[in-house]
Amino acid sequence: MSILLKKALKLSILPAILMIAGKFVGIMALIISYNLQFEVGNEINGIFSTQIFLSDEVSTLFVNSISDLSMILILGIPTIYMIIRTTIFQDTMNNPRTIAKIVKFNILKWVTSNNTTFLKIFIWTTFLLISSIIVISNAINGQTYIWVGITSGILSLLSIWGLIKTFEIETDKVYPNNSKHSYY
Amino acid sequence: MVKTYKKSRFKEISSKIFEPIALGLLALLFIIPSITVINLEPITKNLKQFTDVLGVTTSSEIIVDLVGGTHEILSSEKVYREDDGNYTYQAVLTKRESDFYSKPILEIQNRTDEEKSITFMGTTINPTQSDIGLIINDQSYRLQKANGESEDVEILLRPQSKYIVYLTVESLIGVQFSEDFEMEIIIQQ
Repeated sequence: MSILLKKALKLSILPAILMIAGKFVGIMALIISYNLQFEVGNEINGIFSTQIFLSDEVSTLFVNSISDLSMILILGIPTIYMIIRTTIFQDTMNNPRTIAKIVKFNILKWVTSNNTTFLKIFIWTTFLLISSIIVISNAINGQTYIWVGITSGILSLLSIWGLIKTFEIETDKVYPNNSKHSYY
Repeated sequence: MVKTYKKSRFKEISSKIFEPIALGLLALLFIIPSITVINLEPITKNLKQFTDVLGVTTSSEIIVDLVGGTHEILSSEKVYREDDGNYTYQAVLTKRESDFYSKPILEIQNRTDEEKSITFMGTTINPTQSDIGLIINDQSYRLQKANGESEDVEILLRPQSKYIVYLTVESLIGVQFSEDFEMEIIIQQ
């Protein structure tokens, strides 16, 4: 089995768990904190068909929206963090100004090593994108607040932009940009 | 030499076997959370009110609940209870190929001790060359013909019984736009 596939499998487990946990914990936390009447059922066939029933339309919309937001934030915050860290780390190697700024903000320790790979960022961004598609389609169908849909859209666009930026950094390592280097 | 060859040959064969399985697993790691999250979305339902201490419900109603779940052509399902005790079911029929589609949409419970009559009246706003109907207890009923002509469906609910209502859509031609479907459920008092 190829190393890439092994690594992809290993890296996909955590965001997959977090995606389900973010939604489920979000729903349960709201039900408990607002003391909402609920029921767990299994009225559709097939695997992973557990359903949560709430007694009124307003609570359903509220719980669905906030749990969607919690799922998006749980996936989005680490993704954005990884992208920013990788970008700053790579920038410190090319730009002395960035090092000066980092020293000024006393975050040198934070960027002295980089264990985040492009593959990791790619997998997390993919999970964020899948979640955003689900949330946006919910928002279009009126099952989630519009602002939650917009937030997830912005977050996924930002992470796609970050992913492209990271890809450029990675390709620059393999094929350095000639205009930036002077060999003569 | 032979041992090394055998080892590398084994490695080669095992990678050929395990690689597609690993690819499938990787795909499942993306698909399973997506399906789970979609199914975890809360649904509005008239929750059972148990009031009797001996565990016997004292409710004497006809309860109409949404089954929920996902379907390729049916989305945004909602069911409302009107002030007069009747219900309204709403859904969006999305664009589709010419085919026959069905989905369990409602669960109807007659909690009373007498037979009750229930009438379904459902149509789309515009006729779309689709036959729309219901299946209740393996019996098919037509709600709307392909030309847009609608029919009422009246059924009798046995006392203390539960029914699953399926919505069927048979499109003779491919439909390239979404349409709103609304069905009134009138409970005879």
